[in-house]
Amino acid sequence: MNWTNVLEFARGPFFKVALLVFVGGMVYRLVRIILLGWHKDLVPAKGSKVVGAFKSFLKGILIWPFIPWVKNTFKRNPLIYIAGGLFHLGLFVVLVLGTAHMLVWKSLLGFGWATLPLPIVDWMAAVTIVVMIMLFINRLINPVLKLISGPAEWLNLLFVFLPMVTGYIMTHHLWFRYEVLYSLHMLAVDVLLIWIPLSRISHFMFYFFSKAIHGADFGKRAVEP
Amino acid sequence: MENKVVLDTFVKETGGYVASQLEACTRCGICAEACHFYEATGNPEFSPVWKIELLKRAYEQRFTLSGKIKLALGIDKKITEEDILHFSKIVYEACTMCNKCSMVCPMGIQLGPLIHEVRAGLSNAGVVPADLMAAVNKQVEEGSPLGVTDDVFENRMEWVADEWEVDLPMDVKGADTLVVFSSIEIMKFPENIAAIAKILNKAGEKWTLSKKAREVVNFGFYEGSLERTKMFLQRVFDGAMDLGVKKIVVTECGHAYDAMRWTSYNIMDVPKGIEITHIVGLMGEYVRSGKIKLKEGAFNDGIVTFHDACKIQRRGGHIKEPREILNILAPKTFKEMSPNKEESVCCGGGGGVIAIKEADPIRYAAFELKIDQMKKVGAEMVVMSCSNCRLQFTDCVQHFNLDVKVAGLSQMVADSLVE
Repeated sequence: MNWTNVLEFARGPFFKVALLVFVGGMVYRLVRIILLGWHKDLVPAKGSKVVGAFKSFLKGILIWPFIPWVKNTFKRNPLIYIAGGLFHLGLFVVLVLGTAHMLVWKSLLGFGWATLPLPIVDWMAAVTIVVMIMLFINRLINPVLKLISGPAEWLNLLFVFLPMVTGYIMTHHLWFRYEVLYSLHMLAVDVLLIWIPLSRISHFMFYFFSKAIHGADFGKRAVEP
Repeated sequence: MENKVVLDTFVKETGGYVASQLEACTRCGICAEACHFYEATGNPEFSPVWKIELLKRAYEQRFTLSGKIKLALGIDKKITEEDILHFSKIVYEACTMCNKCSMVCPMGIQLGPLIHEVRAGLSNAGVVPADLMAAVNKQVEEGSPLGVTDDVFENRMEWVADEWEVDLPMDVKGADTLVVFSSIEIMKFPENIAAIAKILNKAGEKWTLSKKAREVVNFGFYEGSLERTKMFLQRVFDGAMDLGVKKIVVTECGHAYDAMRWTSYNIMDVPKGIEITHIVGLMGEYVRSGKIKLKEGAFNDGIVTFHDACKIQRRGGHIKEPREILNILAPKTFKEMSPNKEESVCCGGGGGVIAIKEADPIRYAAFELKIDQMKKVGAEMVVMSCSNCRLQFTDCVQHFNLDVKVAGLSQMVADSLVE
């Protein structure tokens, strides 16, 4: 097999199709949810819904994912909670603040931004891979996760893990030829892009719904969300 | 055909509110650790995410493309009659609808209200635990799950007025405020009625009781039945309209407050111009405005702690008032349990659980978390503003043979009024 051809395909037509499926799929899901209809809330509020929603987002983004003891609840496995936070932070750093990915964004959006030095991004990528393995093991042994995990949950982990690992090996020029790794990386990315709208990885979009609902529900009662 | 009824209810109830939150769930399982029933028993089926499994499956299979495909391919299973019976036990016996899980969910999913939707489906299908249903039916027929009929109510109120020498105005037209007690207070904590009457009289409130609106408890809301929730609310609103009051005060009852203050407006026509509030909110107002004065340090001889009720504090918003009051009554001895306020741990008796005999073992198990919390602050007295919690505390203190005094906040206030 000629890897140059595979690479051309994976970063050319296949990537375009995958991107189209991703965007189209997410828009479809967004529109469908909005069109399901929303009841007007007629309950007289005690506090402000907007302030509640604002606080809910602020807490969610800034404090929550990294400090399990904020809620005095996760005494048994705070590590898993921190792992979840680190995983998302790592994804953000690698995907948005890594130079290579920023250039991809630039080619798609037409503008770029300042990025972090490679060693930092590299370390974050390594951390992300390690916490993914931790989260995988946790899903294997935690009784609740065993109960609620079906094929889709395992595929979620696999399809996010593959681009991370191939990307990491690629930047370190390990074991395989660069073209081979680059091809595998791009194929993994394409598969992931197609998988997202079909799966719960799409939660990054519904996050804005659920967090706003939560904040408004608490804000209206004048309770800290 | 129960499964069909359940599914149809879910489909009817599913709008953007339910669907967007179901879509947001990442199946991370973090909510489990917030649930006192899961923490107490370690049973993964008690995790909040599993309690909405029926709703999630129904949603996916009826609304989403991938769900339909999975169902056709046999990857997803249809909801069967056995499923419905199985989940009925879980969502009624092992959930107090305390909504603590929504506090820890990284996506902020309002699991309590979603579990209420599950109960709504099950209740329409008639798959409600027998004990709870018996109480609901009793409320439909007699007007009260604890048998507070017209005669019982009148006799009881006369007796309270005599015994504690308080004035209990009855059916006073043109009064400002209608006070509605819960049957738990009427039958089990009558001293609470006397205490609240004393406070209202002291504050110069123009208040009244109503024979028509004699009972605020809403077992239809526990059950999740829209029709019966409205029926019981309507009785109170009818009584209020007959007397032309401007305000309805719900006393120390949590679920009833949630139903009346935070739910009724969205499910029925609530008479205009009537404010609905809770006795704790009203007492806070009295203290702040100086309408009543409390003896400072009246409870300064032993450690006092406050138990936050899920429906009055976390879901009701009356978090500050009890603390302001306790800081006057017990400035030196008031100690907070941890976690507290909106993050507090549920007592384990709410949501109708205490009415179901079969749930007794897990109800006691869940209370052990509360015992732990109380022991850590060395509490000699625990105060709360919900009779349902108080019923659970009183029962459990006896069951575990604890040396802790259980008290209602209103009673403490009434006992320390400055003449």
